[in-house]
Formats: sequence, structure tokens, C-alpha cells
Amino acid sequence: MKKIEAIIKPFKLDDVKEGLTEIGVHGMTVSEVKGFGRQKGHTEIYRGAEYKVDFVPKLKLEIVVKTDAVSEVLKVIEQKAKTGSIGDGKIFVISLEEVVRIRTGEKGEDAI
Amino acid sequence: MHGTGFQSPIARLVQGRKGLVGRFLKGDHSRFLEKHAELLDEYFRESFAISSVGPRLGVEKNPCAIVALGGYGRKEQCIWSDVDVLFLFKKGIPDKAKELVREIIYPLWDTGLDVGHATRSLKDCAALASRDFEVLTSLIDGRFICGISSVYSNLMEKCCRKVLQKQRQAYINWLLKKNKDRHHRYGDSTYLLEPNLKEGLGGLRDFHAMLWAGRASYDITDPRDLEFSGHLSHEEFASLNEALSFIRHVRNRLHHMSGRKCDQLYFEYQVKLARALGFEAENGQQPVEAFLGALHKQMEFLKRQHLIFLGAAAEKKRKYLRKKSSRRNVSTGIELINDSLYFHCPEAILHNPLLLIRIFEKSVVLKKPLSLAASRLVKEFLYLVDTKFQKSKSVIKSFKHILGAPSQRFSALTEMLNTGMLVALIPELKGVVDRIQYDEYHLYPVDKHLLRTVQILKELRDAEPDSDNAFFADIFREVRNPELLLWAGLMHDAGKGEGDSNLEHHAHRGADIVARVLPRMGFSKEEVDSIAFLVREHLFLMHTATRRDIHDERTVVRCAGRFVDDDHLKMLYLLTVADSRATGPKAWNDWKAALVKELFFKIAHILREGELGSPAAADTAAAKRQEVFNLTSSMSKDQRNLFFDQLSSRYLLYMPSRDIVRHMDMYQKLDARPFVLETQTDPGADFRTVTVCAKDFPGLFSKIAGVFTLNTMDILSAEIYTWRNHIALDVFRLKPPADEIREKEIWTRVNNNLEAVLKGELDLSSALEKKIYSGRIARKEISLMPDKIVFDNESSDFFSVLEVYTHDFPGFLYKITHALFQCGLDICFAKIGTKVDQVVDVFYVRDFEGQKIDDPDQIALIKAFIQGILATGRSTSCGP
Repeated sequence: MKKIEAIIKPFKLDDVKEGLTEIGVHGMTVSEVKGFGRQKGHTEIYRGAEYKVDFVPKLKLEIVVKTDAVSEVLKVIEQKAKTGSIGDGKIFVISLEEVVRIRTGEKGEDAI
Repeated sequence: MHGTGFQSPIARLVQGRKGLVGRFLKGDHSRFLEKHAELLDEYFRESFAISSVGPRLGVEKNPCAIVALGGYGRKEQCIWSDVDVLFLFKKGIPDKAKELVREIIYPLWDTGLDVGHATRSLKDCAALASRDFEVLTSLIDGRFICGISSVYSNLMEKCCRKVLQKQRQAYINWLLKKNKDRHHRYGDSTYLLEPNLKEGLGGLRDFHAMLWAGRASYDITDPRDLEFSGHLSHEEFASLNEALSFIRHVRNRLHHMSGRKCDQLYFEYQVKLARALGFEAENGQQPVEAFLGALHKQMEFLKRQHLIFLGAAAEKKRKYLRKKSSRRNVSTGIELINDSLYFHCPEAILHNPLLLIRIFEKSVVLKKPLSLAASRLVKEFLYLVDTKFQKSKSVIKSFKHILGAPSQRFSALTEMLNTGMLVALIPELKGVVDRIQYDEYHLYPVDKHLLRTVQILKELRDAEPDSDNAFFADIFREVRNPELLLWAGLMHDAGKGEGDSNLEHHAHRGADIVARVLPRMGFSKEEVDSIAFLVREHLFLMHTATRRDIHDERTVVRCAGRFVDDDHLKMLYLLTVADSRATGPKAWNDWKAALVKELFFKIAHILREGELGSPAAADTAAAKRQEVFNLTSSMSKDQRNLFFDQLSSRYLLYMPSRDIVRHMDMYQKLDARPFVLETQTDPGADFRTVTVCAKDFPGLFSKIAGVFTLNTMDILSAEIYTWRNHIALDVFRLKPPADEIREKEIWTRVNNNLEAVLKGELDLSSALEKKIYSGRIARKEISLMPDKIVFDNESSDFFSVLEVYTHDFPGFLYKITHALFQCGLDICFAKIGTKVDQVVDVFYVRDFEGQKIDDPDQIALIKAFIQGILATGRSTSCGP
């Protein structure tokens, strides 16, 4: 089992979600996050006053899948989230030790 | 213990409850709460009668009674309500009392009911009641169940009447404070989403508080006395009973559904409850929305009755404290008594209906609330508000005054809504009153949301200079006519009152309503258009910020095209902020605020620059689109749309339609080739136009320019465009070759050279160096005019703009663009012009990542580097 964390541009959420649903991924967690990487924050100038934007708003998706589904999920996120410009985001794949569905107590892949 | 055929009291209770609930679910809810309480009474009577300890208590010497307390005392017994009883003894508490309690109370525990009991003597009760008003309150509701009734009478006489008599004032004060605290605690933002039917604002507790205050102030012992004593009108009492029975019914259903004493109407039960209560979808509303709307209306009514009643009890208290009340006339027919506004008398309203709005205006001017009596009168005289009243200039002036008044602790506007005055004045708002939108997003019914939006707009407007809202206050000050914005705030969701709840549709319907309502409010056509625009577009900024790529210039330029000027942008921004904040915490947070603010900045910027974002620019873009479409009728519509979407804003603005069509053609030829080069000789023109279409990469332009120089072609001017799909279109104007007969040959060589350069087979800089040193390119005079290099990060949010003013020299364009490439700059757009030998170049650049260059050190380095190139270029020619 792997956990996939993807940082994407906010307006790409619907595309990514749609793509993932099509390949049978039905669960994900979405959070509103801010940060910076290569796409730095910047300064906005309005009427001579400077407004510093240190962190760029992004969305973070968290998806847990079986290991053999990882490459397909990555492909879909990459395709759907891409604009070709800076700030398209990153995808992290993290090994997962255990998953428990709280309601039933199911564990492992059954709980995904 | 008992013979067959005899059912134990507890078994009878369990069976009785089962039967009662069964009938309830089948639709028989008449007197459920009383019947339920009576079942419990029966249990206590029977189990007391057959108790084995009872006869041994010695009741002759120390009489005792079982008394129902709290809700059970009031016979307000929902399925899982607590059962509170008091074992009351006239003298001390005998040892055997414990056994009695065990016999009677323990069996109840197995039924799942939450049973609370106390064992006290009369003396204990009296002492406790005078010390602890909580105990006193529960005793006020005390009801005799069984035992010796005189003990109960003693209790009521000693504790309730005497204690109350002595401490009436303290008790009422305590009650008022407790209610305030309770409302404060439950009055947070969740109360409308998941209301608490008991403790919340407009919950049953509000009614209980009325009873308790009535008991203390007016010796009211039965709810009916509220009407008989004249504290409520007949209609009010009837409405009160209707509200109570609805809320109690909902609460009972909720108890049954949740299987426990649950008074908070959690989301998970709302849809099911609406169905169980028989609500149906109507007028574009879901059953659950209709249900919550009805519930909210009843709770609102209860809340208001509660405030009126407790307010009156408190006034009685104040009059008691201050023998003489302050009283003065504030205008004809309106007077100020004890800090709240009253009508002089009901007849005054009949003589002058304008008082109905005047009193709200006075409230705003004097910063004093309407008295409850005045509110009630407004409500009862609403029938006087007719079309003539609505259109009266004086009325409209007063209302505008109220709408624009600074925000206060109490809001005259809210009072206008609650009394029905607002809807009487603007009947178009009727549909949004108590209209609930069922989701986790909209916290308030639409009518309350509209007033909150106005309120927040005023807070933004009146914010202190160093507060969090100061930024908005600054923008507010720049708005030409702030009144339009407040009206937009008041009307922006008016469209939700009718038709479906589709987000986009309601905004359009709202704009239609504005177009109907506002002209009669004395606004000019232009002003009405502005308000209608704000209402129609009130979701636009939020939607664009969260659903579109705001870092794409074309997106922002398209947005900018919607605004006639930046005044409208400012108003729409403020409306977006206020609307979102007034919706609830899920609609507005730092994250969304950051996105919307950035979009606002970017649009403002484009509008200010004017070149791309003016309505004229938008018209030009639209016209070009049409022309291009006409010229390419052979292509499919989708194909053309797809192509058109790729064009950048500047390209679209500057490029004539015919050229766009030609470039489309080149683009199609490009396919897998490295570039497509086309030359064009305009008849009579003394220059050649050369267009290169290629997949863009940093340094492309300098390579093309270099190839021209290598072939001794003088560049007169050049324009660089980059489409959004990273296709570069570079358009050069060149001096015709000296030897026009061999021109074709030259172009072939240029083509071959460029191909070789791009493939890396030809080293351009060394080839150029050789050529210049061999003297085949004539060097020009050195000018003493200083060069000027301007680095501008303010003109565009998407590019750094570099301007270079200098004197032309051989290979200039190659060298300068090559230098930019070496500095890590990608040219996205450029205009290069030569006049005689003066060069004016404007480059829109970004780093290879696609970001502006805003590091001052880096900027200084770039400027110094270019300066160096210019200096050495002129003195020594090519080759860095």
C-alpha cells in the first residue's frame, strides 16, 4: 500500500478528481494549503503599497492505493494537473505500514 | 413476588411507553408529552403504593410526598427527557428513605431513562432554594405526584412563594443574566446549521424562561395566564402555542430517531426528520430546506416573544429601581423613554403612516433601539405600507439613510426585517425570508445573510486605519458611489427567493430583480446598471480565483474585460469579501482570501495599464476572433476554438487578423519540423517581413537574429510573441538585400544556417566573430550618448519588463538577446525598433522557470551585464 500526496494548482482539482474517479479511485482527502517551492512568493504592488505574498495557495490531495495501482494514479495526476507552467506542483509517494477502517476494524488493503 | 396476571408497575410503564411511541409514529401525536408524563406518574403512584418500605416510614409523624420537577413537572416529557423527582419529607429524612428510593428508582434505570432524584426535607428545600436559584427554578415547576399533598403545598408556599417574594428582583436579574449567557453560548455560528431545540436561541428554554419570569414578576402559574393577564395578545398566544407544539414535536421525533436525549438537530438527522415530518419539495426547495425554514421561523418567533416578555419584565424591574423614567419627544409622534423609542400612541401612526419608517431612521440617528412595544406596533400597522408609501420620496430617503448608517450594536435594518417592514418596502425580497439552503456552507437563511453582508460591508467601510480591515477601508474610500455597493449587498441574493437554486441562475435573476426594484428607489439608469452588474457577477471573482489559472495572463485579461472600469472592480471585490464572510467559515478563510486578493490585484493592474484590459481591448479581441473565424471557415469550429485559445493577449491585440490566419497556417506546417520560416515582400515597401514559427525555448530569438546578421541582413524592427502552448512567433522587418537578384539564394542560406544552428552544427558566435573581424560587416560610428537600461517590475504581474535605449551597432540584436539568454532570461514578448541609429527595445522577460525577476541583486547584475555588452559591442563588435 502507498500513500500518494499531490500538491496541485487549485483550479486543477476537478480535472484530477474526474480522472481519478475514471480509473476507480473513489476516496481522497483534499486540503487547502499554502507553501512555496521553485514558484516563490512574490510582491504585489497596489497603489504604491507593497503586499507580500510569501506562500502560494495550493491544494493537497492525499490518496491511499494498493501498490500495483500507484503508477496509473501517478500518470493520471500528472496528466490532469499539468499546465506546463511553473507551480504545477509535485507528487510524493510514501510507503504505508497499515490502514484501519475505524467502523469495522478491517485492516490492510481491505480497509482502503 | 407477585402473582400471575399482575403486571409490575415497571412492566406497565415499559409497555405503556411502547404503545404511546407506537401510536406517535403512526401519526397520533395529540398530547404525547402529557400522556408520557402521566404514564410516569402512574408508575410512581403504583410503586409507592405497593412499596414494602412505604408503610414502615411512619408517614403519620413525618409525612412525605413524591414531587415531579423540571420538565417532568411541566408535563413536557419527550421520549428520552430526564425524569427528575423529589422525595420530600416534612421533617428530617428518615433512615428508611434510602430503601424507598431503591425500591422506586432502581427499576427505572433498566428502562434507559435518565432518572434524577433528590431526597430532602422541607427545611433543606427552603434553605437551598433561597441560596441557589437553580434549585428554586426546578421547584417552581414542581408538581405533586403522590404521598401527602399537604407537604407539597407547604413546599410551594414556603419555598417558591416566600423565597420569590423576598428575592423577586435578585431572581429576575439572575434569570436575565442566565439567559444572556445561554444565548451567548448557543448563539455561535453553529446555531442555525444544527440548532439546539432546547437550549438554543428560540429553543424551548426561551419559553420556560418566560414562564419563570412570569411567575416571579406577575405570579403567573399557568401558561394560559400569559394571555389572560394581557401580556400576550390572543394571536400571539395562539402563534406561541403553534410554535411550541411544532418544536416539541420535532424534538420528540429527534429523541426517537437518535434513541437518546438528543436536543441538537445534527446534520445526520435533518433529511430523515424532514421526511418523517412529511415535508415535501416545493418552489425549488428540498424537503429538508422547507423543514429547516419552518423550524427556523418558529424558533425565531419564540426567540422574539421571549425577548419581548423578558424585556418587559426587566423594564418593570428598571421602573422599580428608578421611580421616574426619562421621557422626551424626539419628533412628532415618536418619543424616547428609558433609552428606547416608542410611538406616542397607535393613533399617531394612523394619522401619519410615515412614522413607520421614521422610527427606524430615528433609531439610527439617535443610536437607540426600538422598544418592543414599538416593534409590535410596526408589525400591526404594516398594512398601511402600500405602493404609494413604497414610492414616496420621503420614505426612500429615510431608508437610504438607514441602509448607509454606520454599523451599530443593534441594527435598525435587522429590526426592519424582523418586523416585516423591509419586505413591505421591497416586496421582491419576500421569497428569501427564512429561506434555508441545505448544506454545510450556508450558515444563515438568505434574508439574514443579506443583512449580514450589508453589515460586514459597513464594517469594512468604517474600519480603523490599523485594523485588519484597513486595507478594505482604503479601497472603500476610493469607490465613487459607496451607496451602490450597499444596495448590491442588500440585493445580491434576492434571486434565491424564486426558481431553482442553481448558483449562476440566482445571480442573473437577482440582477433582473434589481432592474425592477432600483429604478423606483430613485436611481439613474447608469446606477441601476452598476448595481445589477454587481449582483449578476457577485460570484465571479471567487469562482475565477478558485477555478481558473490566475497566473495565466490571458485569464486575467479576460476577467478585466468584464469591468467597465476599476471602480466596478473595487466594488465587486468588496462585495465578494463581505458576501463570503457573511456566508460562513467554510466560504471564507485565509486561503480563499489570498487567491481572491491576488486576482483582484492582477485585474486592477491590467485595468490600470489599460492596454490589454480595457473594454476597447476586449472589443478588439472579440472582433478579431470573428474576423479570423470568417477567414478560416474551412476549419471545424472546435479546431478554431482550440487554436484561438492558445493565443496570448498581446499577440491578439497587436496582430492583424490576416497575419493571425497566416500564422495558423505556419503552425500547422510546423508539425515536427524545428521551425517554419516565411518571407514576404509587400508591394512598394522598402523592407522584407520574415516570420519564424518555432517551438519556443530560451535563446531561440538570439539565434535567429544572429543568423540574419551572419547573412548581412539589417534588422529594422522585430516583434516576439509566445503563444500559450509555447510556440514562438517572431516577426522581423529587414532591409532588403543589396543584391536583390540573388535574394532567393540568400533566404535559402538563411534557412540552412538556422537549421544548422538549431541542430548545433554551426557555432554562431564564432562564425559571427570571424565575419565581423573580416570586415564584412561595416562598423558604425561610436556615439557618446549614454545608454539607458530600465528594469520595470511594476507594469506587469506576469513579466519583468526590460527597456534598452542605445545606439545601433552591427549584430546588436543578436548580442543583446544572447546576453539576456546568458542571464537566464526567457523573452516572451518583445518590440524592437530602430530609428536611424537609435534603438528602443522592450523585452517582456521571465526566468527559465517562468517567473518574474524580483531579486534586486539579480536585477543589478543583469543591468551591469547588459551595460557591459553595449559598451564592448560598440567598441569591438561581436562575441562576448
